[in-house]
Amino acid sequence: MVTALNNYLDSVKENLRLERSLESEVIQELETHIEDEFQELKEDGLSEEEAANTCLTLLGSAKLLARQIYEAHSQGSWTQALLAAMPHVLFGLLFVVNWWRGIGWLLGLLVLVLSMAVYGWWRGKPAWLFPWLGYSLLPVVAAGLLLLYLPHGWSWVAIVIYLPLALWLLYSITVKTIRRDWLYTSLMLLPVPAIIGWFMAVEPINKLPGYWLQSIEDFAPWIGLTFLAFALTVATFIRLRKRWLRVSVLVVSGLLTLTMITYYTEGRLSLPAFLVLVVVMLLLLLSPALVERTLKHTG
Amino acid sequence: MAQRRELIKGSIDSLLLCLIERQPMYGYWIIKELERKSQGYFKFKEGTLYPALHRLEESGLIRGEWQSLPNGRQRRYYRITEKGLRRLVTERGQWQDFLVAMNLIIQPASDRREVEKW
Repeated sequence: MVTALNNYLDSVKENLRLERSLESEVIQELETHIEDEFQELKEDGLSEEEAANTCLTLLGSAKLLARQIYEAHSQGSWTQALLAAMPHVLFGLLFVVNWWRGIGWLLGLLVLVLSMAVYGWWRGKPAWLFPWLGYSLLPVVAAGLLLLYLPHGWSWVAIVIYLPLALWLLYSITVKTIRRDWLYTSLMLLPVPAIIGWFMAVEPINKLPGYWLQSIEDFAPWIGLTFLAFALTVATFIRLRKRWLRVSVLVVSGLLTLTMITYYTEGRLSLPAFLVLVVVMLLLLLSPALVERTLKHTG
Repeated sequence: MAQRRELIKGSIDSLLLCLIERQPMYGYWIIKELERKSQGYFKFKEGTLYPALHRLEESGLIRGEWQSLPNGRQRRYYRITEKGLRRLVTERGQWQDFLVAMNLIIQPASDRREVEKW
């Protein structure tokens, strides 16, 4: 096939953002179609260039075609919506019913989150995977924070060994997710601003552990409610077809949860802190789109 | 032209189901067959056809299957499902009612009397 037609197929592929197996089926189907059309036009007496140009005119915009095919497949089933919302529901329940102090529950949840993340990753990265993947990275960050409390002189372990490894892991997973679809990175990062918000609100720095634990207990129902709000957001996201609606749902949810935290903590989160968190939220949710563009241009 | 496009847009699913009901077909064949059967009235672009086929498949109304050709290439044939057949029966009924109602309103008065007589 001539270069212009191959470029067209590449452009469709670039904008499809579907699961790998489905993507290759769509491209194969379009390729056969284009070959048939191209051949028939040549048999009608057109030169290769004329036939290719006619094909491209009939095909229309590659981006539009890719977007319409994406929208035909993008809506997840109710089962997928439930599966995607599940980690948020479990984290919500952890606080609502006060299981967060039980080490057994925490370990059980950790094992479940890691198992689901690994399973989904090797099963073609379906849409339900990404909320699980986000939570599976939490232990990596938490372990890094704990390393800061190592006895004096041992912090080199964190700097020399742990930090590069953790950063490499986070970078590698984020880039692979962005290559699949930048919106899934946003889905993965959705709870991060709220987690930072709650972290700031319960003031763990320079306070006794007892005070910190009491603060979490006081706010536990509201912390749980935040995660349940994310569960609802994720389920809605999975059921929506259009990308702009999906982006809107994530941003609105980020704003609402940060407002909830500010409201329920009654001034523990100041207005400047709230505004900074809103900016962080927008950066986390929308910057993957820019990274995707950069990755495409750098190959 | 824009009016025709709107009319076609609203009836793509019914047209595709009708055509695929007769025999399993692939995308390029569907475009050619629609144009031939409608004497050039329905000229589908790929950008209209494939999203519609994929939407119908996602809804379980048709099913796509790969078939190997003697030259080693593969084509994706679409066949109608039981669910698709049931939908088609409903849509055919709706179309009949719609056409009768449209004829009663849109035809000139003399023709209308003929229709009502029948």
